[in-house]
Amino acid sequence: MRSLKNLVRARELPVFAAFLIVMGGTSLAVPHFFSGKVAIDLFLGVAVIAILAVGQTFVIVMRHIDLSVGSTVGFSAFLIGDAYSKGMGLGTGMFLAIGLGLLVGAMNGFLVAYLKLPSLVVTLASLYIVRGIFNEFATGQTIIESEVPPAINWLGLNRFFGIPYLFLIGFALVIIAGFVMKRSRAGRDLYAIGSNPQAAELAGIPVARRVFFAFVATGGITGLAGAVLLGRFNSANPNSGLGLELLVVAACVVGGVTIAGGAGTVYGAFIGAILLQGITLSIGALGIPQFWQQAVNGSLIIGAIALDRYLSTRVKTTTIMGSKNE
Amino acid sequence: MLQSGRNEAGATPMLTISNVSKSFGGVRALVDASLDLYAGEVHALLGENGAGKSTLLKTLAGVHTADSGVIKLNGQEFKQGSTKASIEQGVAVIYQEPSLFPDLTLAENVFIGRQPIKSGLVDWHTMEVESKKLFEGLGINLNPTAKARGLSIADQQIVEIAKALSTEAQVIVMDEPTAALSAKEVDRLFEVANRLRETGHAVVFVSHRLDEVFALCQRMTVMRDGSTVGTQLIADTSEAQVIQLMVGREVAELFPKLDVQPGEIVLKVENLSSDGNFQGVSFEVRAGEILGIAGLVGSGRSEVVRAVFGVDSYDQGSVTLLGQRVPKASPSKSMSRGMALVPEDRRQQGLFMPTSIARNSAVTLLKKLSRGIFLSGKNESKVADKWGKVLQLKSASLLDPVERLSGGNQQKVVLAKWLATEPKLLIVDEPTRGIDVGTKAEVHRLLSEKAKEGMAVVMVSSELPEVLGMSDRVLVMREGRLVGSFERSEATPEKVIGAATGAMNKA
Amino acid sequence: MSRFHITWDKGVGLFLVFTILLGTFSSEYFATTSNLTFIIRDVAEIAIIALAMAYLIIAGEIDLSVASMLSLSSATIGFLYRAEVPFEVAMVGGVLVGLLAGLFNGFLVTVLGLPSLAVTIATLALYRGMCWILLGNKPVNQLPSEWVNLGYSQIPGTFLPWTIIPVVVLAGLAWFVLHGTRFGRWVFAIGVNSQAAEFSGIPVRRVKLALFGFTGIMSGIAGVIYTLRFASSSPDGAVGYELGVIAAVLFGGVSIAGGIGTIWGVISAVLSLGVIRSALQLIDFSANALLVVSGSLLLISVIAPQVTDYVRNLRSTVSTTKQIQKNERVNHE
Repeated sequence: MRSLKNLVRARELPVFAAFLIVMGGTSLAVPHFFSGKVAIDLFLGVAVIAILAVGQTFVIVMRHIDLSVGSTVGFSAFLIGDAYSKGMGLGTGMFLAIGLGLLVGAMNGFLVAYLKLPSLVVTLASLYIVRGIFNEFATGQTIIESEVPPAINWLGLNRFFGIPYLFLIGFALVIIAGFVMKRSRAGRDLYAIGSNPQAAELAGIPVARRVFFAFVATGGITGLAGAVLLGRFNSANPNSGLGLELLVVAACVVGGVTIAGGAGTVYGAFIGAILLQGITLSIGALGIPQFWQQAVNGSLIIGAIALDRYLSTRVKTTTIMGSKNE
Repeated sequence: MLQSGRNEAGATPMLTISNVSKSFGGVRALVDASLDLYAGEVHALLGENGAGKSTLLKTLAGVHTADSGVIKLNGQEFKQGSTKASIEQGVAVIYQEPSLFPDLTLAENVFIGRQPIKSGLVDWHTMEVESKKLFEGLGINLNPTAKARGLSIADQQIVEIAKALSTEAQVIVMDEPTAALSAKEVDRLFEVANRLRETGHAVVFVSHRLDEVFALCQRMTVMRDGSTVGTQLIADTSEAQVIQLMVGREVAELFPKLDVQPGEIVLKVENLSSDGNFQGVSFEVRAGEILGIAGLVGSGRSEVVRAVFGVDSYDQGSVTLLGQRVPKASPSKSMSRGMALVPEDRRQQGLFMPTSIARNSAVTLLKKLSRGIFLSGKNESKVADKWGKVLQLKSASLLDPVERLSGGNQQKVVLAKWLATEPKLLIVDEPTRGIDVGTKAEVHRLLSEKAKEGMAVVMVSSELPEVLGMSDRVLVMREGRLVGSFERSEATPEKVIGAATGAMNKA
Repeated sequence: MSRFHITWDKGVGLFLVFTILLGTFSSEYFATTSNLTFIIRDVAEIAIIALAMAYLIIAGEIDLSVASMLSLSSATIGFLYRAEVPFEVAMVGGVLVGLLAGLFNGFLVTVLGLPSLAVTIATLALYRGMCWILLGNKPVNQLPSEWVNLGYSQIPGTFLPWTIIPVVVLAGLAWFVLHGTRFGRWVFAIGVNSQAAEFSGIPVRRVKLALFGFTGIMSGIAGVIYTLRFASSSPDGAVGYELGVIAAVLFGGVSIAGGIGTIWGVISAVLSLGVIRSALQLIDFSANALLVVSGSLLLISVIAPQVTDYVRNLRSTVSTTKQIQKNERVNHE
């Protein structure tokens, strides 16, 4: 019974409720809105962002941010196709993609965890650097359909009992990540670090190590997301992934992973990504010009941040006068 | 060196600190400090601010490593310099402001970093059950699944104590634990401390409050200027003797109070209230008067003066300066009318640490120093120079950042910055906290002189001798209300502390 | 730490000279008047926004939506002009829209208390979205030629583009206000310790609101210049410019932690980046090299203070230990 009460109080519930309202409301306005096709669009559209949002959660929970994911995911996608087009197998391609992600993650992690540089600046810089190297490496080339490894192509096109595989990959990742965050000491440490960094040090938590490996993990997940990106669009080019980082952060914030750190779950981030995608589809279905999409997204994020702030200030510490009332 | 008290059983100490010294840069925080701690006792650690208590505690906690000296726990060398090591060796420090993780549950706060594991996974159920047991063992009813955010300081301390017990700590240090507690919560804490004592733990109780020390502790050690100057059985000593040890000289010497005839009413505070902070506060201050506001930490004094000055807002009541209503919540307006506030926390509220002495001194005067919009850097230095001489600021250069100065000199800079505005009303909140005794006297001399020149002074202070020595009148606050007002002639430590703790009826 | 930063921004000035020399040696076309014209024109918008961003970061805040505000200003101009509003009025409208957008950011941060990093990521999307709403898919390309010429051409008789005038004037004003007025002191004070600033009577919230508004106006002005330069008002202009602005500001010696920075350093950094970009283009290095260089410079600008702090701490610990050892030796004698 207690777990049901906790479920109701969870931060994730309002996000999920918002999703239902958006989809439901649009269904009322537009007949046949929630059809199988829309569902597929939803699942496919959300796949990449959802996976990236899971990784970003590790980092945001600790009061950091990783803005380099857009550049890295694009580069990873390209590497897979490029490797395949040069005769190397899928395995090699995946190795390169995930390896790149881990490398970028390690670089970010080292600078943030051990040199104690602000993550905003560090990941902003790596966003630049990785995109620059990517552009140079890929100069003007595009990975076309024939260069996409068949396995990835297949995953991108097919479904498991009606649900696209790309989405299921993301879903599986969320379950695993959620489990790790809740049931491992390392995962709990991430929350502690974000909730009160000084107390975390005093409590003997190996803060630098955790921060470092969180960035590495995010990097690895980003590398994996590259495969999904490639599967989703069946192509990759130097513009792949451009601007994705902001959508990812938005999905997290909307999903209850507060920028202040210490709270929120990967489930919430996942639902946040789904909500954003749902709104995109609704806008299209409602006949609202596509041009409103970004403005709506922006307003939504502002609303989510404001709501989050309001909720956290409502719980006031017991005050001088209140404490005597026992 | 006074006789050190021995445990009745004549057993060997659990913890021995021998001739420990520690310096930071040029500042000597600990000088040959020594302390013996026995199992089953509550040992008071006394001393003024800046005496070295905090450094000693932090050394035990593993935050610092002593430069020299030996620390032994149960006969074994105590491993220093690592908070993790201190916890593992059984030393737990509960700070004045307990620092929990607001987003985590109480159970998780208790077991942070050491969550119970079952088949490789965090075992939430066991964690909750065990923490519930710990809370009950302390006689307190807390819900282990509640998040820590919003918990009262008193409850946070209980969680910290439970955490200490869960690490099987043998030595539990409490740093000014009663500072923010109500009377009832203090009683509850004492019961917990006694329970710890009965179960063979050693408790160190750091406090300023002599009545509490005498009620709870068996032995005490006094620190002064970085050294331990005396250890005694509580039974063998008295408050007066303890104060003597803490201060090191006759109390009267310290406070060169000049006699002044109070003039017109400068400040009038009527029925000031702020929800949850203070209620119905009214008082007046005249020119030339020094009004002391005493009370335990957390009684709302700083909140009141901050509201008067305008840094915080208030809900009801009014503030009038020289007959004119002062608009609320606007420090700049209060300043322009002639008010000044030397805040409680000089590092966070009073100074810009990395900025130069010159700029710090002049920051309140920028309007006066500018001609139109042009600000002259030269004028800034002139101001700092002038006040530096008045306050006898010893420093290499006015361009040095204030963080290089000693606590006493830093406080002088804060005073300079405010005195430069030539206020009609000067409010000082803990004016000599963390300052060496010599500078303390200088600050007091300065305040007395200013009062004589006609300035109205409001002084919030937790140091009883200071309040009694400096004030023309003493107001006492408790739990947000004004509960006492004494003229200089009738104010005694007993009356003031009595009103502050509401302990008039206590044994 | 502040002493190092003061040395740092002088260092950026030297770096600028160094890059100019490098550019001169790397290509014969570099030191030509037409190239110098190009560089100045190229950095004008970033320079103007960087002035305001410097103030904001010194005060401890940040604004990631500046590129979108620039674009919104440009889109407003196009939108109004298309609606047959006189072009001069449209330009003023663009600047005003920038101001409003900046004030809205300021409102969210100072009144609602939202964190500036997160909230300006959101307004980045919001303002960009509004560009699309205003113009749809159709950029406005028919702009009055007399104004467009100003955006593109030089002051007669010199190699200086007209756009240098607003840059110099605004930079001069920004420098003066920051280093020579009470308001400037306030900005630094707020960045060093906003709580102490409040306790010292500084109206922290009002100042921050003003700074966000200032950032908006500058973005608006940059939007006007951008529109004239490219002779077009479109919804997808200046994408990613915020990164260039922030990179220049940080590399120019403004500390991301707040409380430290100079206008001179920021201008030097903006020019340096412009020079590097031009040099790379002239020697046929791809624009990607610039991305990598900008990113690296950004990293260097935050790593360097850490390194010097570490070295300084190391030195002081060593000397303290030596002092203690000396004292102990004396005691044992």
